[in-house]
Amino acid sequence: MVQNEQPIISLKDLTISFDNKMILKAINLDVYKGQIIGYIGPNGAGKSTTVKIMLGLVEGYHGQVQIFGQDISNGNVDYKKRIGYVPETAELYDNLTASEYLTFVGELYGMDYEKVEEKAQKLMKIFGLEDVFHNRLSSFSKGMRQKVLIISSLLHNPDLLFLDEPLSGLDANSVIVVKEVLAQLAAQGKTIFYSSHIMEVVEKISNRIILLSNGNIVADGSFAELKEQNKEGTLEEIFNQLTGFNKHQAIAEEFVSIVQEV
Amino acid sequence: MENFRTLKFLDFFKPIFEKMGVDYHVMRKILQVKMMMDRRRVPTIFNQNRNKQKKESNQFFKSLWLYAFFGLSIIPFMVMGENYIFQMSIAYSIVMFIVMTSMISDFSSVLLDLRDKNILGTKPIHTRTISAAKIVHVSIYLFFITASLIGIPAVIALIKQGFPFFLLFILGILFLNLFILVFTALLYLAILKFFDGERLKDIINYVQIILSISIIVGYQLAFRSFEFMDTINNYELTSQWWQLLIPPLWFGAPFELVLHGNWNVFIVILTVLSLVIPIAFLLLYIKLMPAFERNLIKLTQQQVGNKKERKNKNNWFVNLICQTKEEKCFYRFANTMMKNEREFKLKVYPSLGFSLIFPFIMFFNELRVSTFTELVASKWFLSIYFTFLMIPTIIMMLRYSGKYKGAWIYKTTPIQDQAAIYKGTLKAFLVKLFLPIFLIVGVIFTLIFKVQVIPHLIIALLSAFLFTIISFMVMSKSLPFSQSIKMVQQQGESGKIFLLFIPNAILFGLHYVSTLVSYGIYVYMIVLLVVNYFLWGNKRIFNPTKSLQRT
Repeated sequence: MVQNEQPIISLKDLTISFDNKMILKAINLDVYKGQIIGYIGPNGAGKSTTVKIMLGLVEGYHGQVQIFGQDISNGNVDYKKRIGYVPETAELYDNLTASEYLTFVGELYGMDYEKVEEKAQKLMKIFGLEDVFHNRLSSFSKGMRQKVLIISSLLHNPDLLFLDEPLSGLDANSVIVVKEVLAQLAAQGKTIFYSSHIMEVVEKISNRIILLSNGNIVADGSFAELKEQNKEGTLEEIFNQLTGFNKHQAIAEEFVSIVQEV
Repeated sequence: MENFRTLKFLDFFKPIFEKMGVDYHVMRKILQVKMMMDRRRVPTIFNQNRNKQKKESNQFFKSLWLYAFFGLSIIPFMVMGENYIFQMSIAYSIVMFIVMTSMISDFSSVLLDLRDKNILGTKPIHTRTISAAKIVHVSIYLFFITASLIGIPAVIALIKQGFPFFLLFILGILFLNLFILVFTALLYLAILKFFDGERLKDIINYVQIILSISIIVGYQLAFRSFEFMDTINNYELTSQWWQLLIPPLWFGAPFELVLHGNWNVFIVILTVLSLVIPIAFLLLYIKLMPAFERNLIKLTQQQVGNKKERKNKNNWFVNLICQTKEEKCFYRFANTMMKNEREFKLKVYPSLGFSLIFPFIMFFNELRVSTFTELVASKWFLSIYFTFLMIPTIIMMLRYSGKYKGAWIYKTTPIQDQAAIYKGTLKAFLVKLFLPIFLIVGVIFTLIFKVQVIPHLIIALLSAFLFTIISFMVMSKSLPFSQSIKMVQQQGESGKIFLLFIPNAILFGLHYVSTLVSYGIYVYMIVLLVVNYFLWGNKRIFNPTKSLQRT
């Protein structure tokens, strides 16, 4: 992919360690407008850390992080106005009602109260949640919370979306809706940074896949490109191959044999 | 969203915040939401009677009356006598204790809210604004608590001791609060630095328990504080170095210095400490703030691997008291639940505290009218029956849990013998919660009343086992840890606790009667053994009621 425009995200030699352990080892990455990045990797590979660094949640990294062409270490938080974020753990202030929470988030992004409320209500309605708009989030099921989080990340019409397992807990119909929403948003020039463990979804949704293993980028390209390079049929198999994981059969055998000892 | 009066007041300081580079509009927004969430929460000080949670009025402001009441206890220290440094140190210790415990138990959640990081940190808000919101939030509450605590005493002091005293008092309180706020934050920082978040949550839980207990003891002390005044007036400061480590003394010293003109070096040092330490701590805190935020992450993490693997070394004990496999299983389960569940502990441990204290309160009252030798010869050891007070309460509480949703395992596993569930749980309660308290009281009683009290203690213990069965029979049966802890008030079981005073009194009476006859206690002991044997062995008692089997 050759791009002439300026990258939306640009990481240069991004390195970070916690407790003397290197989590990210000099990552270089440019992400362009309209891309849907599938950001995958085994547990502990550093996926969430990368996202958190870009959101300014984690400090103390080395290297350069530029978002919308601005170095984020300069202390100016304005770039966050154009970012939407769905965190992995469904953390929200759950003793607020959906309406209160969503308007609050919208206002933090600098929107007007009336505007946000109207917008939030409309979006809730589309997700079939209009009846619980004024109920407390603590009474919501996992799927309902996830929908609220997705709405809260889109209220301010961001140009860049960070989604960490955004489909978890959603039923099959909602999954299709959200996937379609993402595709349409990308078509309109939004950039989406999507991390997940569910390879089937990543395979279908992303137009560029980045595989992180042990703090290094070990693969970068469209699904078709990855398939060509690795001669494997599914993303799951490519994933296993690239992360050097080939013992699944032996592990499963051992597991089952322990289960059978009653 | 409504507009809080406090926030309107805060608007006056808008220019100051803006000068400090805080986005006032956003900070106000955050505070508004935070305060709205707070009012949906019940402070620990109200834990004793949490009911009608549905009505949404600020529980916090109602709890202020309680603080005002406790504040009354410091009045005598402020108005009587001239031994300022001591009086005021005691007054400040009371304030410090109450403010600090409420701070830890109710406002830790503000300091330690992890969601802030993810929800606010990802929005276009400057860190300075977030920190400012946090500090202002806590300060608002700190202000209300202290104001209601010292309001009345301060007015009385103004009338009785004059304006300079009043002014010193208020200034002292300001610095004390600053000290408490920063000290608590630094304390958390230290704990998080060396331990993981679970440990910190445990510590907060214990502080909540201590607060609940001290509220009850506080009622007693509030009325008796006048009695201590004589002793205090005659006390003299001996200028030991370790006294420099007692914060309330720092804040008491300025009174001595200013009002008595006492320029003793020791007094001067204490006064300087009262000014310098809070400010030094504040500077330290500001410096360590980023480290604090970084360590907050630990709250969600459990330290892996450094917990010792515990061998079940008391297996023989479990085998001894539980017969069947299922009973043992539920014994262990109840044991760990009681140990690990914080909400359960918060509800239950205060009553353990009362059970421990009540027998002694009873005979300290007796000591005012009779001598110690008279007491030893008397039958006051029977006050150990007051430890039984916890039994009905806790048996009622055993059905509740903050994580009651996990109770589906009862339904999906093939449990043969429902009785084993209750039996194992009751035994775990007796061993884990009742016995330790009983043993502590028992050992102290043996020291006071000498060896001949031991047969009586055995009788009391057997009565406790019997009383446990009786309480269990009276309460409606419900699977342990299977109902929401928020339902406690709605079940109408609490009335039965008072009903159960009657069997407790009867057991007490029987024991007393048995002491009147020679060898009576030994006969009674055997009777209790037999009754216990049959009741604990009777499956019908433990089998669930029909209604339960249907559900």
